Amino acid sequence: MNVFSDIYKYRELLKTNIKKDIRGKYKGSFLGILWSFLTPLLQVLVYWIVFPYLLGRAGTEDNYLCYLVTGIIPWTFFTSAVTLGTICIKNNKGIIKKVYFPRSILPISVCLSTLVNFFISCTIVLIFCIGTGAGISYHLILLPIIAFTQLILTLGIVFILSAINVYVQDIEFAVQFIINMGFYATPILYSMSLLPEGNILTTLISLNPITVLVNAYRDIFLYHAWPDPMGLLYVLVLSFVVLIIGYLIFGKLEKGFAEQF
Amino acid sequence: MDKQNAIEVKDMSKSFKIQHDTAKGLKEKLLFWNRGTVEYHEVLKHISLNIKKGETVALIGTNGSGKSTLLKLMTKIYYPTSGTLETNGKLTSLLELGAGFHTEFTGRENIYFNASIFGLTRADIDKRIDEIIEFSELGDFINSPVRTYSSGMFMRLAFSVAINVDADILLIDEILAVGDQHFQDKCYAKLEELKKEGKTIVIVTHSLDVVKEMCTRAIWIYNGELKMDGEPSLVVDAYLKQIAEDHKNKSKKVSKDIELKADLFIDEPDQYEVVDSTQDSLLLRGWCVTNDDESVLKVSLDGKEVEEIERHPRGDVYAVYYEMYDGMLNADILGWKKNVMMSNLEKGIHKVVVSCWCEDGRCLASKEQTFTIE
Repeated sequence: MNVFSDIYKYRELLKTNIKKDIRGKYKGSFLGILWSFLTPLLQVLVYWIVFPYLLGRAGTEDNYLCYLVTGIIPWTFFTSAVTLGTICIKNNKGIIKKVYFPRSILPISVCLSTLVNFFISCTIVLIFCIGTGAGISYHLILLPIIAFTQLILTLGIVFILSAINVYVQDIEFAVQFIINMGFYATPILYSMSLLPEGNILTTLISLNPITVLVNAYRDIFLYHAWPDPMGLLYVLVLSFVVLIIGYLIFGKLEKGFAEQF
Repeated sequence: MDKQNAIEVKDMSKSFKIQHDTAKGLKEKLLFWNRGTVEYHEVLKHISLNIKKGETVALIGTNGSGKSTLLKLMTKIYYPTSGTLETNGKLTSLLELGAGFHTEFTGRENIYFNASIFGLTRADIDKRIDEIIEFSELGDFINSPVRTYSSGMFMRLAFSVAINVDADILLIDEILAVGDQHFQDKCYAKLEELKKEGKTIVIVTHSLDVVKEMCTRAIWIYNGELKMDGEPSLVVDAYLKQIAEDHKNKSKKVSKDIELKADLFIDEPDQYEVVDSTQDSLLLRGWCVTNDDESVLKVSLDGKEVEEIERHPRGDVYAVYYEMYDGMLNADILGWKKNVMMSNLEKGIHKVVVSCWCEDGRCLASKEQTFTIE
């Protein structure tokens, strides 16, 4: 396949790009890479303090702190990949106008660098699991598979959004809104069991692929159980479909990138 | 494609969209989908050419003629609107230097970043890194962040990376004006070396001397069409003639609007030069460029006008000024000189004044210099 050989040829670029994404982002700031943990951590803290008061019922989940962490860290992985990914072509217009390289390297490296960040953040999740008394179990061996599924899905989405954003710049603003909305369409703060059954909204939320993924993460981190295989399979198939469509769209649009800037 | 060819272009055209009233946002696109006329500007028209392996080819043409676009098409930054363009072999473009430099990182790290954009692997770069650092002459600075570099150092580093990438085809766009004379000479020497190794080199340049010296072939792009292809000196001559003609035609149309101007210079004697009085004659020499065909050049020595000034060709001056003067210069009369008999001059301080006067009696430019005869 042409795609793979191209990417293999430019693997060094992929590597340096990932390194730049991870290290370069916080270069010059005091806490450096710590910020990529600190941000979700502080977010967890805020929700942990505020939500049990605001929504008494939502915050009654056992071990709510750990429940939040296991939801927010995967969610951050998804959102940072999508937000950074959407603008990754536009942000690199300098080099796109100057040099040829497979453009797909850019979205791929964004997704991979957020994946690396996610794996590092997983240590925080583990610390919380142990710290709050939930403990850890052998179910964690599924973590790479779930993360891989999420990677495929985000990559597909990022391919589509980053390519279209070059032509229609509204995408990046719309994405901001949709992500905010998605936060509530995913059981991060609340639990699925609190939703009324048979409701359209409930069905939508349960069909949300991120819901399936977040639930799977919770199963292996918090509940020490095997996640629902059918759900994961559904997300995996969906992710590959999105990835293929995304790559086709990207391939169609990438030839015009340099002319748009 | 033919195995002998490094680059094959077949009946290729490239158009760019020009949108008046650009609808960039979604709202505009939805609301005014029928507004904003889309026009296409054809930058390159039906270009067909083959560049054989090992050739050093210059692309020449005025600004906006499409030669840089052609180079970008070869690099695959742009894609043809119609026709095909194929390349054979690993290709490096030195279109703009320093792509992918990250100023917070050190020079050494940036070598890796930059070289990786050209498709080199870590092992490849490790093999070349000493050569690259040596070529850049940065010394210990290589371990400092790039943001602390002077612009010259930055360009030197960028050029060193680009030129040391082991490519079969090199595309170079007007970037050889990097660094000081010493570094430029080194760059040309490196290019000569690559040429000898049998690499294919395509250069876009306005420096016609480079074309004549280095290239084995010149291709002249004129208004998006391939006008001439062949022996560099022949193509360059035809190109210069065309420029002069074009600009004369153009300036005749708008001659009233053109601001008349001139530049002149006295080469000999130098300012404050001390001239030996035992010589037979004193040579007054210099040049004058102007866009006013009717202007008169006056040379005076100690307030007395010098008559019968000889005019002669000055290619070097022409090369520098032809673009600034929109090609309206006549290369054959740019220089001026006059031999003054020494017997007519007394010892002591003398003053030469050269001035260029236009028809309505305005002085366009003047210069004076003093010298001493002993």
